[in-house]
Amino acid sequence: MSIQTPDRIEREIGIAAPVERVWDVLTRPEHIGRWFGEDLGGGGAPAEVDLRPGGAFVIDHGFGAYPSRIVSVEPPRYFSYRWATAFPGQEASEDNSTLVEFTLTADGDGTRLRVVESGFAALDIPEDRIPYAGYESHSQGWVDVTAGLATYVEKLPA
Amino acid sequence: MTQTRTGGEEDVFAALADPMRRRILDAVAEHGDATATVLAAELPVSRQAIVKHLTVLDRAGLVAGRRAGREMRYAVRPERLVAAARWMDRVAARWDARLSAIKRLAEEPASRDPGVT
Repeated sequence: MSIQTPDRIEREIGIAAPVERVWDVLTRPEHIGRWFGEDLGGGGAPAEVDLRPGGAFVIDHGFGAYPSRIVSVEPPRYFSYRWATAFPGQEASEDNSTLVEFTLTADGDGTRLRVVESGFAALDIPEDRIPYAGYESHSQGWVDVTAGLATYVEKLPA
Repeated sequence: MTQTRTGGEEDVFAALADPMRRRILDAVAEHGDATATVLAAELPVSRQAIVKHLTVLDRAGLVAGRRAGREMRYAVRPERLVAAARWMDRVAARWDARLSAIKRLAEEPASRDPGVT
């Protein structure tokens, strides 16, 4: 497992479909509406997507809409946008948002899809958003910053 | 969860973005509590630099200092750290869920291009 710094989250998945197919699912409004709210039971309305650099990318997954801003579109390999998830309803700008980057890599007949969300260190997370983190999680994730610190955190009472 | 003082607690991520500050926080955690002098003896930076880093960690609510003789002794304050860690874990878990959903949609046989195996 790679060590994650608190500034970024990296996740990756193997998909048994060609890169072009994964690109479509990733970027077409009717698909985005379906995969985006998956962690909340799935299925949202089709997203508003203006698929070009600087284009609007409006995502609503039930907590509120995130008017995000597309940064790069390089079909079918790379797609990135900025969003202000700590500030629902706010337009994403350089200082209130994180950068989300998708990279698609052909892997035999399939695709490696990797997502990196970065820029947390520059955010001021408002106190009332932190409780969103209140769910228990078994993921080691970010706690692996350093071995000693992870051990220390694990020993803390829940 | 303890309510922390106002001002500065949003700085957790910025405070932890610096690798040396993470090492210092780690060292403080291992010691239980520690002074800048003790930390400077085991880390490759000056005592003065350690003091500056501890000030940033203190402002972010990650450590608390108390005067002990001529020096400050610092201990880790876990509340902010745990909250920040859970927040990041939650963000990561959401990405796992979304990637799984993308995988499922992309692999749906009905919508695959004919001719692609």
